[in-house]
Amino acid sequence: MLPTLSYLLLLIPMIATVAILCAPSSLAKWIATIGSLATFFVAIGFAWMFPAWTDGTFAPTDATIPLLPSLGISLSFGTDSVGLLLVLMTAFLMPLCMIGSFTAVTERTKEYFAWFMALEAAMLTVFIAKDAIVFYTGYEFTLIPMYFLIAIYGGDNKRVASIKFFLYTFFGSILTLSGVIYIAAQYKIANGMWSFDLSTLTDFCSTKMSAPQQYWVFILLMAGFAVKVASFFPVHTWLPLVHDQAPTAGSVILAASLLKLGSWGVYRIALPAAPIGGVELDQIFAILCIVGILNAALICWVQNDAKKLIAYSSVSHLGFCMLGMFSLNAIGVTGSIMYMINHGLSTGALFLCIGMIYERYHTKDMDQLGGLFRRMPIWSFFMVFFTLASLGLPGLNGFIGEFLCLMGCFTAEPQSVAGYPGVLGPWYAIVAGLGLVLCAMYLLMMLGKLVWGPLREPASAAHHGGDHGHSGANPGATTHSSGGSAAQHASVTESSAQSHSALPADLNAREIGILVPLAVFCLAVGFYPKPMLDVIAPSVERLLAPYPSLVAEYVAKGTLMPRDDDGGGMASITPVQGQSTLHANSEPPLATVTTVRESVGQ
Amino acid sequence: MILSIASAAITSAVLSSSSADPIAVATLIKPAIASPELAWAGLILCFPALAAVLCAVCGAMRVKSKLPGMITAIALIAAFVTTLSLYLTCHDGATTTARTIHLFDWITFAWRGESGDWTNFLAPFTLYVDSLTLLWMLFVTGLGSLITIYATEYMEEDQGKGYVRFFGGISVFLFAMGTLVLGGNLLLLYLGWEGVGLASYLLVGYNYDRPSAVAAAKKAFIVNRVGDLGLAFGIFLIWLNYGTIEYDALFQALADTTSSAGTTAANASEWSKAAIPYLLMLGAFGKSAQFPLHVWLPDAMEGPTPVSALIHAATMVTAGVYLIARTYPLFELQPLALPVVACIGCFSALLAASIGMAQYDIKRVMAYSTISQLGYMFLGLGVGSTFGASYHVFTHAFFKALLFLCCGAIMHGMGGQLDLRKLSGLRHVKGFRVTSWTLLIGCICLSGFPFSSGFYSKDTIIGAAFASDDPLFIFLGWVAIVTAGMTAYYAFRVWFRVCCGEVLYEPDLAAHAAPTANDAHGHVAPHDSANSQGGHAAHDFHPHGPRFAINGVLLVIAVGAILAALPSYLAEFAHQQNWIQSMVTDSSAVAGAGSSAHDAHAEHANHALSFTGISDIHTATSVVASAVGILGICIAAFFHLTNRKAADRLRHALLSNALTRWLPLAMENKWYVDEIYHVVLRLPAWAIGHVLHFSDAHVIDGFLVNGTARIPLHVARVFQPLYNGALQGYASTMAGGVALISAWVFWIWLQAG
Repeated sequence: MLPTLSYLLLLIPMIATVAILCAPSSLAKWIATIGSLATFFVAIGFAWMFPAWTDGTFAPTDATIPLLPSLGISLSFGTDSVGLLLVLMTAFLMPLCMIGSFTAVTERTKEYFAWFMALEAAMLTVFIAKDAIVFYTGYEFTLIPMYFLIAIYGGDNKRVASIKFFLYTFFGSILTLSGVIYIAAQYKIANGMWSFDLSTLTDFCSTKMSAPQQYWVFILLMAGFAVKVASFFPVHTWLPLVHDQAPTAGSVILAASLLKLGSWGVYRIALPAAPIGGVELDQIFAILCIVGILNAALICWVQNDAKKLIAYSSVSHLGFCMLGMFSLNAIGVTGSIMYMINHGLSTGALFLCIGMIYERYHTKDMDQLGGLFRRMPIWSFFMVFFTLASLGLPGLNGFIGEFLCLMGCFTAEPQSVAGYPGVLGPWYAIVAGLGLVLCAMYLLMMLGKLVWGPLREPASAAHHGGDHGHSGANPGATTHSSGGSAAQHASVTESSAQSHSALPADLNAREIGILVPLAVFCLAVGFYPKPMLDVIAPSVERLLAPYPSLVAEYVAKGTLMPRDDDGGGMASITPVQGQSTLHANSEPPLATVTTVRESVGQ
Repeated sequence: MILSIASAAITSAVLSSSSADPIAVATLIKPAIASPELAWAGLILCFPALAAVLCAVCGAMRVKSKLPGMITAIALIAAFVTTLSLYLTCHDGATTTARTIHLFDWITFAWRGESGDWTNFLAPFTLYVDSLTLLWMLFVTGLGSLITIYATEYMEEDQGKGYVRFFGGISVFLFAMGTLVLGGNLLLLYLGWEGVGLASYLLVGYNYDRPSAVAAAKKAFIVNRVGDLGLAFGIFLIWLNYGTIEYDALFQALADTTSSAGTTAANASEWSKAAIPYLLMLGAFGKSAQFPLHVWLPDAMEGPTPVSALIHAATMVTAGVYLIARTYPLFELQPLALPVVACIGCFSALLAASIGMAQYDIKRVMAYSTISQLGYMFLGLGVGSTFGASYHVFTHAFFKALLFLCCGAIMHGMGGQLDLRKLSGLRHVKGFRVTSWTLLIGCICLSGFPFSSGFYSKDTIIGAAFASDDPLFIFLGWVAIVTAGMTAYYAFRVWFRVCCGEVLYEPDLAAHAAPTANDAHGHVAPHDSANSQGGHAAHDFHPHGPRFAINGVLLVIAVGAILAALPSYLAEFAHQQNWIQSMVTDSSAVAGAGSSAHDAHAEHANHALSFTGISDIHTATSVVASAVGILGICIAAFFHLTNRKAADRLRHALLSNALTRWLPLAMENKWYVDEIYHVVLRLPAWAIGHVLHFSDAHVIDGFLVNGTARIPLHVARVFQPLYNGALQGYASTMAGGVALISAWVFWIWLQAG
């Protein structure tokens, strides 16, 4: 049953893609909605049947279709509890995005919805792939739908954005692919046969490959993932541009799921495959995270464009997520995963909110637009709500991940009391913690401009607002000043109401219907995160098994790389045998990894 | 000289505190009893939460009546009744046993640590009920109900507009405050901590049309965030050192540490233990508006007056005192922590009182007075008198709420006027009698007039400072006495100006201009609801006195403010044990080392106040402090009752003298703290933000990323001329290539040779 469901999870969006292309374009949005809802229900069914919630293993184990047996490539699917949470999040958001796009897209709707369904299939593939080639195929295939979604439905600068998005992330993933192939080639040399099974490769790399090899493999793997997750300092610049230009639903999916492909890659491949590299480079990546957090936060603070602000806030927030991941202890990694899910929902919701005002005013410029509480109280309620969730207000979902990530980083000291020594520590957390203050500053600045204050509407687009209380009392308003005659005013209103897509001043039932499930989720997770924490824990424990002893060794010796004086320098030349010198005095990680692998049953 | 005294004092404080036996701290805190049968106590939180949800429903249904206000008032009264019955249940006879009530799991998870001491992080949604909790909850829910009833009338002009939002915010606040106080672990306290910050943000920014209100709301939240960060790091360190953040387990872990090398982490470093109280302090000072994080509170007066009374005077700002009282054993472990609390509290008290003396907006006077009184509470905590601090919290909650509500009543009836230069003789204006006399009661309590409630609570604190033989504390005690005189001066300055003298009033014209403009828009008047009285021009302005709900609540709270002294009366004249004292000493806030030390020293005759000829230190303090207070009242009477011109003359005299000019200017301009922060913190951050924004777009993206992307293009350009189709070009290229290869081969040959 479970294998069937895992195939269905990918087949339904694919079938929906084909169906949309074949059906008349008036049906496109309905097929997409039904298709994504069906995917969501299948995902729920998959989660319902999922046997590995509490033991951190991958399931199903038998969903494998051999493709190229001689090369060890097969279509094999299966995921653990963390991957399943990401699947659920993606499948949950997709119908909301589709419903949210009903009026936003008026031209070439068929392609629009078809590309989204294809994108969903590709993303879900990544989250449930057990084969490196399948993983990589899905990972890269997400670029194509996203490229077209930006290039066709984007803003004024869409060509540059789409090309930059494609080339930048593609360039990174090529390096990731080369890393994977290098591991596979080493596996072939050692074992005489090919395999692209992810667990096999990561186990092989982590236990059999030398320290310098793991070091470089980690760099190669991270090259792609770091670009994708966009929270490390110099490789984030594509994200704000792309968010700025992407259509609303594209931004939602980009923030919620596409960026998580990167963090999922780190979690699924980079950290398990190359623990030595992970430990060795831990501080560098953490510093890049922290620089990314502060850099993006300060940039947010001087933004005028609401969507860009949220895009940069995404960079800053995911910096916390990755900082939690790189703290390499149970608290930080658990927090990191909570952050992945919750960031997807609250930031996704914020992008939806911004999209809703963009549909009405055709601007996101906070200098032109502001004080919308007066015009759109319901929208403002949701905007404030999701901003607070994003701000990390306790009681809403964002807090849990943020707090645990920061705590994980804080407690990642060499002499840890929690059983997971780390190489970060309080100073990293204190500097990163400044990001929380800055986060309050820029998000409240955004609320202060966009929601509160005197009403300001752009002159050209004000009549999209529908309700025409005139704004003579507001000096900032450039609309129909008090001099205009009432009759003329009224006629303008009517004609514009007819010619435009009849969106009311405030949100309509469809839009409220999209935001309410998200808000309910935010509140529910904020007050009862226990189920999620419970299912994350075993998976995290599996990931972290080799780390404590490696970190302890790193702390004791200052590096895990072989030094010239103990002859380990040869390790980089004689690959597979090199591990003997390195792991001679670090038996525990080997043992733990082996036992975990046995418990996985592969 | 002052500095040298202070530094000498700090040194001696270290010596005296460190010599105290820390075992006394821990053994006094009894383990809590798990009481699942008391789960109904959760209703205290459920009622306001339910009210918030119902308010949201009212908002969605566009209810235009007073229904949301009624719902909130009823919910809060229900919460108060529940708290009262919880008190009666838990208070068996003389003592109150601490109880924990587990409601549900919140953030709890465990891991299989390899060799770690701690293998779980537990922050369940558990209530920790002891007498300190109950004391706080009683006045929070009690005053919350009363002020909500007051607000149903005060906010009535906003029905159908902001009414729902206002009461929704109040409900959220009460929920968060309840969680803060009742929560059984520090993370739950943190939830309430940020939750009350949210409520404060929403309610300060209630008049969202006014940019100043929006800015004030933002400022309050952000300044608090700085404190919250300190609190968060404090929580991390507590967990690192003791492996738990639940109060009950934490107190037991502390007991174990002090008695034997118990359950604390063996390898936790010393600094991490030492830093805990300072980080918690940062949180407490943020929430309780103490220097250097006090700047948000005066601005928060942009909120409607009931909000100022409830949140920014009576309840939320005392959360910092609660935090330190709750974690008092942690502070006692560090010899320097409590003196620092005392110094900062005392300094804030003095600073704020000096600003309060020079403000003209009566609400702002009250705001600075709140900072100043909170400073007293921290002084009390710092000198080891948790009882004094908690008692002052209790009395202050009543009289400061009363003072704010009186200001609100004046504002409500006087067209938003708050400038004490433009209000006079309200005592004689019809409808303002109750307000005037209740304001007087508030001022008497605030200035610590003998036998008022403020007198007892303040003198407990000052007496505790003098009871110590520590020169630092005695110095702080003198500062506190001077501050008491200043307090009496500014309190009665307000009363003499506003309520006495010839009748004179005018509405706030600036506040009136706004609603007329806004009326055309058919929207909420931005300057409190008082403005909806708008349309009155100054010449035919008729003040309207408050009606039943406001007057009733003023009277009830005035009685409360008087009766807040009752525990002391009973203690003094009927020789019963002070009720508040027994509440505090039953809890974790009991001062172990500190209070026992000062009790011992209380008998000493060689105390700092020996010139009074009174041997009992507390009596001597009372006499001196009251005398200074009465002196302050007399000065206020001279300048503001009998001889108002003299005040202006004094100000002009000071301003015209170059040497003294700075004093009135600094006091009126809040010692320029805001300006300093603006220049030192905000401007650099803003500039860096712009630089980074530029560099992100042009250096990182424009140069590095796009530059890298252009490399293939440029490389191609370099070689492009070679492929121009001209034969001689190809020939010369080939020749060059051959030459290069030959050179390379030759070089290798040389190397090999």
